[in-house]
Amino acid sequence: MKKILDFYHQLLTWLLVASVAILILPVSLQMISRFTDLLPPYIWTEELSRFLLIWMILLGAMIGVREGTHFDVDVWPVLSPRGDAMLRIVSQVFVLIFALVYVIWGIAFVRFGWNQTSELAELPMTYIFIAWPLTGLTWLVFLGESFLANLRICLHKDIA
Amino acid sequence: MTAVAFTPGMAALILFGTFFALLILRVPVAFALGLACLPPLLFEERLSPLVLFNEGFKAYNSFILLAVPFFLLTANLMNIGGVTDRLVRLSRTMVGNMPGALAQINVLLSVFFAGISGSSTADAASQGKLFIEAQVKEGYDKSFSIAITAVSAVLGVIIPPSILMVVWGGVISTSIGALYLAGIVPGLLIALSQMATVHVYAKRRKYPVYPRATLKEFVVAGVESIPALMTPFIIVGGILLGWFTATESAAVAVIYAAVLSIFVYREMDHKHLYSALVDTGKLAAITLFCIGTASAFGWMLAYYKIPQTLLANVNTWGLDITGVGLLIVAVFLVAGTFLDAIPAIIIIGTTLAPLAASVNMHPIQFAIIGIVSLAFGLVTPPYGLCLMISCAVAKVRLTYALKDTMIMLVPMLLVLLALVIWPEIVLVLPKLISPELVK
Repeated sequence: MKKILDFYHQLLTWLLVASVAILILPVSLQMISRFTDLLPPYIWTEELSRFLLIWMILLGAMIGVREGTHFDVDVWPVLSPRGDAMLRIVSQVFVLIFALVYVIWGIAFVRFGWNQTSELAELPMTYIFIAWPLTGLTWLVFLGESFLANLRICLHKDIA
Repeated sequence: MTAVAFTPGMAALILFGTFFALLILRVPVAFALGLACLPPLLFEERLSPLVLFNEGFKAYNSFILLAVPFFLLTANLMNIGGVTDRLVRLSRTMVGNMPGALAQINVLLSVFFAGISGSSTADAASQGKLFIEAQVKEGYDKSFSIAITAVSAVLGVIIPPSILMVVWGGVISTSIGALYLAGIVPGLLIALSQMATVHVYAKRRKYPVYPRATLKEFVVAGVESIPALMTPFIIVGGILLGWFTATESAAVAVIYAAVLSIFVYREMDHKHLYSALVDTGKLAAITLFCIGTASAFGWMLAYYKIPQTLLANVNTWGLDITGVGLLIVAVFLVAGTFLDAIPAIIIIGTTLAPLAASVNMHPIQFAIIGIVSLAFGLVTPPYGLCLMISCAVAKVRLTYALKDTMIMLVPMLLVLLALVIWPEIVLVLPKLISPELVK
């Protein structure tokens, strides 16, 4: 199971890297076409870069949950490993609620955009909106993994 | 219009109460903001959680915000491509003969770095690795070293280019070019105040000095750094001349940094490039993700007319322009302790804009005192990203360097106070260079 998740994590990271690397292209094309005659002034460049940004943000948000890098505010004194794990379980229950919202209403959001196409490149908006429920699903998987790990720490008598 | 279920007061209590309760439970800020919107979204008949998605989509679907990953990528490329090393050498020849040499270099490098990158967090991360250990080795106190790295990193968003100015300009419709010009003098003043603080520390604690650099060393280091030091002129100049937009200028910075790293300094390989892209993607994404939920939170505040209700009170106080300025500073400083700067701009900047306008405060002065206050929030706990990063690099807890950080903040706050009292400090450069932007 861990192997599958590790692979999924790696896959998301690759996609994230690709989105950052590609992001620079449409913006550059836009400038090149403005200053030279080498390229026609494409109108889809701006839209494409915005859509890539959306995917980049949500891919990074997915990875952030597994790596625990979403910024939080720590007002607690130094906790025991068990106390720390318990607090993590509590806070992750709330993240889980948010993940469920992303899945349930995210699907409604995709339905809402089912027949829409984007203004400039006329891409189906489904390609964009689908990122939200996917993010929610990915969070659910990563949170489940983390929950089991924390539970093990809580139940393990020797550490505490 | 059908009635809303909550009065502004009750709605504020629910929104902020839930938000703070979740923060205490260590729920990440981005999620706490989104979750706080849920009770009203589910309760109000006319609303549904789809608001979260609409607001998130609108926030992320923004050409302006593209500047965030670009500025981070520029900083990361500079670090791996040898640009930063050249600037360190140049700084050393300039301030190496002053007491507390390495700490002075730390501050001066932040000034140069700020002129190329628009991100304070990138500055804190790279200079933390560069300086903290080195300073401790030379006999500087560890908490001093962490603190000076963190406070000098805030220059990143004050000296142009700046992520916060791009966001501010996009959200509150202020000329980004004018903001860039306006940030220069305050940024340099803050840097000077930091160098003065380092000087006092160094004298009292007898921190080491380097031998004075020869003129030749200075010239050589200067010439080597010229290509890197041209970046701010290209970016700011390009925007002012109307060659490109703020976002495009950030893309130009990326391309320029890549060209320097690959062709001029030739120190980049594909392994480093991959890690630069990974770091950029991860940090940009979690920063920007927060903006989506913050926008939904801001939308909720507006739905219940909470800002207007609060401001209606303030308007009865009859504050003059300085009073309003101080109030704005206080609100942003407090908000900056627990909110990231970008959501703070979206939620609070838009709320305070009418108040600033009501006393005829210049929108550029309003923007700069807001941005500087929020930048100081980068080193104030519980949520001070630069201090968190510096402490993480040094592997100590946040409270470890707190005292020195607070001491260093005092002279910086005096500069901020001056910006409130004398708007000319902020407005002089924009008025001089592009009066049409200031009106």
